[in-house]
Amino acid sequence: METGLYHYLFIALILFIIGLIGSIMCKNIIKVLICIEFILTGVNINFAVFAKYCGGVMSEGFVMILFYTAIGAVELAVALYIFYFMFAKKDSDNICKYGDL
Amino acid sequence: MYNNIIFYSASFLIVLFGFLTIFFKNIFYSLLSVICVFFLTAVLFLLLGSEYNAVIQLAIYGFAIPIILGLGIMFTGKSGHETASSGSKLKDLLFFFGGLFILAVIYLVLISNTVIPNGFNTNFNYEGINSYDNFRIFTQGIFVKYIYAFEIISVILTITAVGLTMIKKRGEGLK
Repeated sequence: METGLYHYLFIALILFIIGLIGSIMCKNIIKVLICIEFILTGVNINFAVFAKYCGGVMSEGFVMILFYTAIGAVELAVALYIFYFMFAKKDSDNICKYGDL
Repeated sequence: MYNNIIFYSASFLIVLFGFLTIFFKNIFYSLLSVICVFFLTAVLFLLLGSEYNAVIQLAIYGFAIPIILGLGIMFTGKSGHETASSGSKLKDLLFFFGGLFILAVIYLVLISNTVIPNGFNTNFNYEGINSYDNFRIFTQGIFVKYIYAFEIISVILTITAVGLTMIKKRGEGLK
C-alpha cells in the first residue's frame, strides 16, 4: 500500500490523541509534560506533511517546525522550573496537589 | 517499497512506545519510551524529505529534552517509581479501549467515500522537493519572510535563560 497524505495525518492524529489522553489521565507532572510534547510532535508532523504534499502552497511548514520546536523546549524548561519549586514546597509530584499554583 | 516498510514499522513503534509512555509506572522507563518516540518521529521527517527537521528533532527532542526531563526526575529525589496513583486499573483499561474505539471510528470515517471521495489511499500528484528546494525554503523562511518571528523566538529564549537564573538567584538570596 503506497503511503500518502492521509497515512501521515493519521499517525499525527494518533500521536496527538495519545498526548491528549496522557495529559488528562496521568497524575505525575513529568508524564503530563511528556504528553504535551507528544501533542507538539503531532502538530509538527502535520506541518511537515502539508509542506511536502502541498509544496507550492505551504512550503513554510518546514520553517514553522523550527519555531514550534524552540517554543516547545522553552515551555518545557519553564514548566520544569515551576515544577522544581512546587516540588520543594509540596514534596510530591502529584499534579492534584498543585492547585494553589 | 522500502519507504513503505520503514513508514509502517516506524508508525507502529511510535504508537506502541507512545502508549507505553503513558502506561509505564516507572517514570524512567517512560523517559526511555519517549526517546524512542522522538527518534522514530525523526525517521518520519526523513521520509517526508525534510532532513534538516529530522536533525533538529534528534538534537532537541531526542537528546536535549530527555536530558532536561531526566534532570527533573533527579530533582524529585524519588527512586524512579511513580508516587502518584493513576487511578484504578479498570479506569486505565476503559480509557485504553475508549481511545482505541475512537481511533477505529476515525479510521472508518476516513476510509468511507462520503468524507474523502477517493478513499483513504488517495495518491496526490505533487511535485517532489529536492534538497536544494528544502534549503532555499529554510533560508528564505528564517532570514527573509519570518525574520521578526525568528528574532522574537531568540529574544524569548534569552529572556527565559536570564529570567530563570535571576529567579534562582533571588530565591537563594531570600533564604
